[in-house]
Amino acid sequence: MSSRPSSSQTSVGSGALSHAYIQHPSLRCNVPESRGLFYDDANRLLICVTSSQVFSWETATFNPDVSPSVDSIPEGPILSIRCSLGKKVIAVQRSDCEIQFFHRETKQTLTHKCKAGSESILGFFWSDSPLCDLAVVKTSGMDLFACDSAMNLRLVETKKVNVNWYIYTHESRLVLLASGLQCKTITGFQLSTAGVVRLPKFEMTLATTESNSKPIISPGDVHLITVYGRIYCLQVDMEAMLLHTYRFYRDAVVQQGSLPIYSSKLSVSVVDNLLLVHQIDAKVVIIYDLFVDSRAPVSAPLPLLWRGYQGSDTSSQQENEGTESSTSSENIVMYEDAWTFLVPDLILDQTNKAISASSSDRSSLLEFLQRRKLEANKAKQLCLGIARTLILERRPATQVTQAIDVLVTAYSYSVKAGIYKELKNEKTTATTPTNDGASPDNERGRASGSSIDEEEEVEMNLPSGSADEQQESQLSSPAISPDELYKFVFASVEEAMVEESDYLVAIITEFLRSISAEKLKVDLNIYVMTVRLLAHSKRFAELSLFTTNKIIEPSKEVALQLLESGGQNLRVRKLGLDMLRQLSLHHEYISSLVQDGYYLEALRYAQKRKVTSVRSSLFLEAAFASNDMQHLAAILRVLSELIPGFKETSEYYTFHGLLNETSSSVAV
Amino acid sequence: VFKGFYEILEAMGMASMSSNGESLKLCVFDLRRGQNEGQELDKILFFYPPDVTFSTQLSVIGLSEGLITFTRLFSPEAACEVIEAERHSHVFHEAEPDIWMVMVVEKNKEIEAIWRVDALQKVLKEVHSLFVMFHGSVRSLLDKEPSGGLIRSHLYPFITDYLNDLSVGKKLQLPSFRETLKERGTVQMLTLARDAALEVQSLVGVLDSCAGTLRCHSVILFHDLLVSTTLSPDDTVDLFTFSVMRLTSNALSSGTSSWSYLRKGSSLSQTSSRSTSPQLLGSSDSLPSGNGNDAGRVIRPLQHNKWSKGKDGFLVTDIWGKDATPTIWLQQREERVHLLAYQHKCLTLVLLVPTEAIVNGELDISFVKHQVTENASAKILKVEEKLSKGWGGENAYHVSGYRYLLVDNDMEVSRASPSGKVATLAKETLLAVNKLRETVDTEKSRTKEEKDMEICIRAKNNAWAIARVTRGKELYMALEKASDTLLDATDSVQSFSNR
Repeated sequence: MSSRPSSSQTSVGSGALSHAYIQHPSLRCNVPESRGLFYDDANRLLICVTSSQVFSWETATFNPDVSPSVDSIPEGPILSIRCSLGKKVIAVQRSDCEIQFFHRETKQTLTHKCKAGSESILGFFWSDSPLCDLAVVKTSGMDLFACDSAMNLRLVETKKVNVNWYIYTHESRLVLLASGLQCKTITGFQLSTAGVVRLPKFEMTLATTESNSKPIISPGDVHLITVYGRIYCLQVDMEAMLLHTYRFYRDAVVQQGSLPIYSSKLSVSVVDNLLLVHQIDAKVVIIYDLFVDSRAPVSAPLPLLWRGYQGSDTSSQQENEGTESSTSSENIVMYEDAWTFLVPDLILDQTNKAISASSSDRSSLLEFLQRRKLEANKAKQLCLGIARTLILERRPATQVTQAIDVLVTAYSYSVKAGIYKELKNEKTTATTPTNDGASPDNERGRASGSSIDEEEEVEMNLPSGSADEQQESQLSSPAISPDELYKFVFASVEEAMVEESDYLVAIITEFLRSISAEKLKVDLNIYVMTVRLLAHSKRFAELSLFTTNKIIEPSKEVALQLLESGGQNLRVRKLGLDMLRQLSLHHEYISSLVQDGYYLEALRYAQKRKVTSVRSSLFLEAAFASNDMQHLAAILRVLSELIPGFKETSEYYTFHGLLNETSSSVAV
Repeated sequence: VFKGFYEILEAMGMASMSSNGESLKLCVFDLRRGQNEGQELDKILFFYPPDVTFSTQLSVIGLSEGLITFTRLFSPEAACEVIEAERHSHVFHEAEPDIWMVMVVEKNKEIEAIWRVDALQKVLKEVHSLFVMFHGSVRSLLDKEPSGGLIRSHLYPFITDYLNDLSVGKKLQLPSFRETLKERGTVQMLTLARDAALEVQSLVGVLDSCAGTLRCHSVILFHDLLVSTTLSPDDTVDLFTFSVMRLTSNALSSGTSSWSYLRKGSSLSQTSSRSTSPQLLGSSDSLPSGNGNDAGRVIRPLQHNKWSKGKDGFLVTDIWGKDATPTIWLQQREERVHLLAYQHKCLTLVLLVPTEAIVNGELDISFVKHQVTENASAKILKVEEKLSKGWGGENAYHVSGYRYLLVDNDMEVSRASPSGKVATLAKETLLAVNKLRETVDTEKSRTKEEKDMEICIRAKNNAWAIARVTRGKELYMALEKASDTLLDATDSVQSFSNR
């Protein structure tokens, strides 16, 4: 049995463009006499059962070659199967009134039955809430049990509700119980680590038509998803051809709007906090980002493709499986009838590249990319590339500003949240990214062509559940630090933009404003660069404003750049000198003064600050060069006082001698 | 030598002035004109007061010309700057090659009539550079119309309007020693915190691109202080001066409500009606009374009470005609630009749009205005809010215990104790500072290169007047603690300079 065959050709193939791919190769479970395939979402186990054996594959660390663990259980029908959260116990629902428990180590067995006739078991799931370990959903309500290591079940609490069907995902810890004739009255409980929370009862929206005045919601129409740590419920309203979204708050359920449906069959996946709506009849997938209020899709609908297959490059994810059956057919047929989409953990991954080609609003694209956790590196590189391209294409400053704001805010947020970590030896930050691959036009070209490098870069990070803090922290974040922005964006475009320095300065100003608003710091070389750019375009008035207002933060490097740029403008040079003095960089200050010919002022300063590190010959030579013997004499005298033992140096003799030769009238 | 020379002339009656009660004469003349006998009137481009006879005008100008020619013998590059006679001071300023401005001020017994020559010269410089900013150089107007009618018709209303700003009641008040801790022709700046400066600069960036690809320059003021400029220091000074005179919120409110302004206005109408030299000021009859035909019309950029704030926040005026946008001339960039002023509370933005960007006249102007409101209004609000929050009021730059003036000649920026605080100084102290400044002025004009100096003077009332000049920066200070020794005084200066 396999969730997918490995090497056959299909119509879906080379050259086709897609946002979403199925990981290839996928997990194969060729178990003879398989009776069914189950997915245990709490433990992320793919379970295949035969009449007396249970094969389970770990899917959390995805490896297509992993061998299953095998357990033996007594023969009997299996309606559903789930392992306890410690994987010590296997629970099997045998019928609508019986669940059996098998201890994997002690081989102990326990059978739990409900009152036959008056109620029937709809299903069960394990919980990590402090109150209970196991929840059994019955037509009459939900029983919560505590279960100790010896497999003793103790009823803790019963929630009395008439239940037609229920859905539960471990990711959200949320169980929704449907009741009423149309099954549209929903009672929800969250069995979280904080306890059991009852959500307010709510009604789902259902349109009625003449042909169908009382449509009924089936469990397959309702999906629980978690994106950005928020829990949403998606409900298919076939009559209205809408997918309604509800967001769960602690004390409220709020309908959030609806997405259109283009298919009579529909399923959803979540990858990296993005909602993928599979329009099964149309064989396309539409990606939505629920974070933004807009209900517009992130991308144009494109087919789902197999990853790693026939030249479709890029990143990837994960297995899928069909519950019943699953063909061993040679043909890959997308959206086979047998496919089941398992909510938390899906098949797909979007390629960032294709999206960047199809999204026109750069800053929302950046925002989008900054929220990606999967393949943070790639998202980061794309962000840097987009930022560079925006500048190189000389987009309106407001647009670039917006983009920069997005990046800076995202960084600031991720630092505060502790997600961002300084990535040392990371290869992507160590090398300067090239410019190609940044422009969307290139992207489009490359998305369909194959690229082996890209494949190698692919990271196999799993999308992390929001509850799973530890896993999350292992992911590198796509956030870009100001230093990186400077290095990979501003510094790298400086040369190309030098003739448009006005524009670049405006952008840098916005960048500085943005990081200042977030109270961040940046590599001081950006200030050196700003000085250079302003001086290049001869905007000396502004250079002076930038310096006096400390938009350009003072530093030795900046001061030296001011001195250098001041070659063209004395005022700028003075700004540099003033900065040196204010920073108490006495040595540099004095040397620069002497260099400008202000050797007396330099010496006066040296005398006042007791600076002796400047070579005394500098002053003497400057005075001698200016042919002012009085100054030379004065300097000799001051130096004799300033530097102990100066009178014994050869320098003193040399200049003293010169002085006496030239003019006998000046006394030292 | 000169004094003697002048006294002879005065004795000969050639310099017969002060007869009609005017304590000030101001003239502009062109040495290249009227060199033939009988054509002397040609050289006169402007004379104030306008109602003096031609012979008086000619005698003042003739004398000035004589002095210039004479002193040029000794110093061809820089002819005379000032001639002190017994009853008058003649202050000279060569505004453009061979275009001279001369101010003759009466020395009377009143103690208030003590001024610094350099300060008077700065008045001449200021009125000239403002003129050039609006109308272009005097020479260019002369070249345009060699008869001189054009330049005269422009100079007359312009300088008259300017002088009206100096008048208090019916008298013109020249910068006296009381204003010694002020520096005309410099910009006063608002000190910004870094975050505010970044916001301002961000706004400047938006304004830059309001006219598409051609860069717009801008000058931003808060109250009467400069916040930001993208212009060269010279152009900034001119535009700043003009803005403070006519555009800022203070200028607008004083223009509409202040009692003293009404007096100014009336004195203007008097001077124009008194004009008795129609030949010389040929166009004075056709001075616009609001809307005239545009062709022969003389624009009076310094006309009072002509600016107001429109509904959209932009300042409007009909000086340039109905719905016409003013243009000014930027000296450093040698380009003509349209001037748009926008005001939000005490924040005044002066946007300079290159004329090449305005192809379709007012249509393009309103597009630029639209761009400003569209792209910059949020930032303007933010900047105004930030600046108001950090606004220290009129006395923000008061340093207690000190009365000071700090001039940065490189940036043409100055900062001084607030005038209310300076007014508390004793007259003797101010006179001492005035004297000190004169000394420094002389010293500076003697050597053209930058010089370091420090001078302390003990005034009659035991106050200290101190000047300190280093590398293009000048600090003047008055300390009125009589008990202070020279050492204390220098220490105070030292600690002040280190701030």
